[in-house]
Amino acid sequence: MHRATALVTAVSLALGAAVPAHAEDEALRKELDALRQQVAELQAEVQEMRTAKATPVATAQPAAAPLIAPAPAATPAPATTVAQASPPPAQRGVGTDSTRLWGYGELNYNHPTGDAGTSQADLRRAVIGFSHAFNEDTHVYGELEWEHAVTSADDQGESEVEQLYVEHQLSPEMAFRAGLTLIPLGFLNEHHEPTHYYGVERNFVETAIIPSTWREGGLSLLGTTEGGFSWNVGLTTSQNLRNWDPADPEGRLSPLGAIHQELQLASARDVAIYGAANWQGVPGLTLGGGVFNGNIGQGDDGNFLGADSRATLGEVHARWQSGPFDLSALYARGTISDTEKLNLTFIGNPYPVPKSFWGSYVQGAWRVWDSGESSLAPFVRYEAFNTASSFEPVPLGLGVPDADTERVWTVGVNYYLTPEVVFKADYQHFNITDELLGYGTRLDLGVGYQF
Amino acid sequence: MARTRAIWLVPGALAALPAYHAAYAVQYMSVAEAQKAAFADASEFAPVAVDRAALDGAMTAVPESALGAGWAPQVFAAKKDGATEGWLIVDQVIGKAEAITYALALDARGAVTRLDVLEYRETHGGEIRLPAWRRQFVGKTAADPLRLDADIHNISGATLSCRHVTDGVRRLLSLYAHALKTA
Repeated sequence: MHRATALVTAVSLALGAAVPAHAEDEALRKELDALRQQVAELQAEVQEMRTAKATPVATAQPAAAPLIAPAPAATPAPATTVAQASPPPAQRGVGTDSTRLWGYGELNYNHPTGDAGTSQADLRRAVIGFSHAFNEDTHVYGELEWEHAVTSADDQGESEVEQLYVEHQLSPEMAFRAGLTLIPLGFLNEHHEPTHYYGVERNFVETAIIPSTWREGGLSLLGTTEGGFSWNVGLTTSQNLRNWDPADPEGRLSPLGAIHQELQLASARDVAIYGAANWQGVPGLTLGGGVFNGNIGQGDDGNFLGADSRATLGEVHARWQSGPFDLSALYARGTISDTEKLNLTFIGNPYPVPKSFWGSYVQGAWRVWDSGESSLAPFVRYEAFNTASSFEPVPLGLGVPDADTERVWTVGVNYYLTPEVVFKADYQHFNITDELLGYGTRLDLGVGYQF
Repeated sequence: MARTRAIWLVPGALAALPAYHAAYAVQYMSVAEAQKAAFADASEFAPVAVDRAALDGAMTAVPESALGAGWAPQVFAAKKDGATEGWLIVDQVIGKAEAITYALALDARGAVTRLDVLEYRETHGGEIRLPAWRRQFVGKTAADPLRLDADIHNISGATLSCRHVTDGVRRLLSLYAHALKTA
């Protein structure tokens, strides 16, 4: 403010001194031009300070009279079609509130074509999110989720905090986060709202191999560069291999999902690190990848045979969105090391700890119609994945065979009533009976929204 | 195990970062800087008060991402030797949950010459600041569709910010057509 005040004083003095002193028109005009420019700069500066001070909303500030009075007087009258002295427009809420609510939700119906008796309708999730700005640089961001409509001791629903972190902007290009954050691998994990993906259900690769919605507690540092790189690195909690149940098929459905901790009284003796980057330097194109690596034994108390185990998950992805076309591909591969001794104790059980697992998909969507805010986009996706593609060798052939690779074709359509409200229908064909679903081919219907 | 123990030094280092960073705001550019960047040789930026009817007209024409009754972009006429070189309009849209302040520069014929993000307050979607993304708007006029995924490419992961800024620019070009064009 001091600089501005000094400038105002200087300009006023200059005006007072300059105007009567010069008689010659030419000199006076030049002087006035220079002053005009100074005043205009000053005006912008003052206006900006007011805007920043009073409210983050940038509005025309007609009340700036004392400081900018010389300008309109010296300025040719603006265009006739615009009213010079219109009253200040009503301030609206944009940016004036420091606390905001947002949310999303989805309701799905699954109909197995070979076994209609197991058809199911589900309120998959209802989510309320909030953010609060403590100041321009410091925010808290939270996401609260209810799954399957009803949560109680007798019901199967879940209620969970999916994200909760404080973010502090360190510089215009870099921020720091502390709390429960989403691991930035793949397309879906960070952007899992139903309007962001094709098909009623999230794809298999990004649920079985990358266990969406995957979050860990910890610290992260993230940023962007002018050249189109965005990066995110962190130090977080990791999985807990002690929670592996060799009798429970959950480990076969999603090896990392089965031993996630989700910051629920998480064992934090061992930690993990991750790093991810995307390049979006050409509009429409995304190329990226990331790695997560952490010890998952959670301490060596001398009894647990998987104390040295380490989980690693890496992925690469690409997406090209151009005009009505949206093409994407992703490959992810994970390993769990040092499982040999632990698996010896699991002999006789159907689901020992796998050594490796992988998945990939390609997807193409085409917006064939749009009108106003509505659009219709058919899509097709081919996925192949294996949640137990290898095991550490077990003596005497006592181990279990590697899992079969599951291949799924999904053909369907997303109908966007508005960009934030989507109706979906698809048909999925499986090469084998899906372990989780217990059936193959199915029809799905869904509705989702985001605000 | 020593390796695992040493890793706890990292949070200490990370936690120490905020202690020495300068007090930055998320303001990437000031209005004055945006004016200079867009019209380097203009001698004056005269504030233009746009009447309510023109704002309502532009709002009705582009209802998407509605901002409500108080929508109040800040309009400056960039002048050199008294002649209008173009316009700089400072406006806001909502990204995902919080406001994005941006400046749109138009030449005297109403074609976009520059788009700058002045302030960004979100924890997501900041990729819209990418120069390559913003350059897509250069040359657009009120006659262009200005639709995300049509003539403006999306940034995966920042869809809401991209869509709302695109809608915002379309609305400002409509405002130009309603209120500034005959000037």
